[in-house]
Amino acid sequence: MKILILGGNGMLGPWAVRALKDRHEILLTDINERHPDYQGDYLQLSVADVDGVVEAAKDMDVIVNLSVLRPHRQDAFDVNTMGNYAMMVAARKHGIKRVINSGPHYQMAGQQYEDWDFDLNPDMPPAAGTRLYAHTKALGQEVCRVFSQRHGIQVITLLYYNMKHSWDLSGMEPGGPQYHQDMVPYSTAWPDCGTAVQAAVEVPESRLATRCETFFVFPDLPHGKFNNEKIKRVLGWKPRYQVEGLWNKDFRTPPDNLHGAF
Amino acid sequence: MNILITAASSATARIIADSLSGNHMIRLTDLSHNAKGDMIANDLDHGALTDDLVSGINAIINIGFEGQDGTDTHLMDYHTRCTYNLLYAASGSGVSKFINISTLRLYQNHEENLVVTERWRTDPSAEDVAILGAHMTEVVCKEFARDRLVDVVNLRFGWPFVEAVLPDSSYTAATTYDLIAATVSESLLSDQLGPWQDVHVQSPVKHQRFITNTAAKFFPKLAGRLSQ
Repeated sequence: MKILILGGNGMLGPWAVRALKDRHEILLTDINERHPDYQGDYLQLSVADVDGVVEAAKDMDVIVNLSVLRPHRQDAFDVNTMGNYAMMVAARKHGIKRVINSGPHYQMAGQQYEDWDFDLNPDMPPAAGTRLYAHTKALGQEVCRVFSQRHGIQVITLLYYNMKHSWDLSGMEPGGPQYHQDMVPYSTAWPDCGTAVQAAVEVPESRLATRCETFFVFPDLPHGKFNNEKIKRVLGWKPRYQVEGLWNKDFRTPPDNLHGAF
Repeated sequence: MNILITAASSATARIIADSLSGNHMIRLTDLSHNAKGDMIANDLDHGALTDDLVSGINAIINIGFEGQDGTDTHLMDYHTRCTYNLLYAASGSGVSKFINISTLRLYQNHEENLVVTERWRTDPSAEDVAILGAHMTEVVCKEFARDRLVDVVNLRFGWPFVEAVLPDSSYTAATTYDLIAATVSESLLSDQLGPWQDVHVQSPVKHQRFITNTAAKFFPKLAGRLSQ
């Protein structure tokens, strides 16, 4: 399939590329310049550029939106909300039947869920709250839902949260990995984050109950806070890394930094 | 009461402002390319200007449908980012009530014979950005209400807005100007509403499309105008 990836130079993009590049034709786009390690087709493009996204999506089979912007108010709306609008306008214009959206789990299961409940699952009604990142992503998701409803576009949304390096289970937090501490009960290794995108791109439509389906992306974790059953059952996603080093007291020796994304 | 009305150049805002000006202190605002006369030009960006706009305000009446014109992207930006900025400033300033003027056209894809009430999920268009924008404004408002940052009354009015309902009119969801004004006035005064309340309002017409029992319940003074 021909796949347009938006926001592909971020943290998740390279791992999605790794999972997809030998199986599909990829046009990678990002607001930033091409990563020096990436050798495939590339277009510098802001996801908020509606006309540009429409143009880039011509002749594509699938659009994958991995763009993210958190702290700046204007940019967050431009990227997280308007970016999804651009993606859906492009899908409608070109008759693209499937888009893959991404975001944080709390764009749906916001703080009012997380602070109170367990067994949170991706089919709950969204309640993002007003925190900028969650809110803007939730608005983007709502745009996707409406377009899906009205135009029959298949929207598969992958919700992530805490990504970990597979070799030492460190994340984006400073100070290196922490072992034998409480962990975020929604943690996933980067390579598995990428294979989830592959699973979403390739899942047969017949396996999807509706045209707008959302999935929590994380391996089996013992906390019972969130539920990952759906992604395993529907997408057949099998995480390779169980991040058990974070939730049991086995010790892992961190190796050198390794960047195997591309 | 000190009241801020957004999109003040719009026809809807004028209907409301004219009706409230006798009893309240009205502050009018619109985007800088629309503002004229005594309106405060404000593009609803985040920052001090929007904070100043809502300072000292008790209630905001936000024109969440057909308040603005422009490109699709402009309208999407207005109905999401600008609304968020306004609500963010309002919640920080202690505004106690936010009245969002929305539309029953969010249900226009439903068959007319269905008994649509506030319990029904809206079904907005993705083609008509004015309607999609109204929906997105509602979503933004609801999250501020959910977080208990400001109480929101979401008034969905029938269409079109008319001076008076004519006996032979074919409009089944028409709403008169005076009913719009009276509903907003009652919304300002009511202390019976929760942090988030949808209210459907249209004038009583032949083959009336939408049920208005919720409006009659919360705004008993309107009962006579809501039924024939």
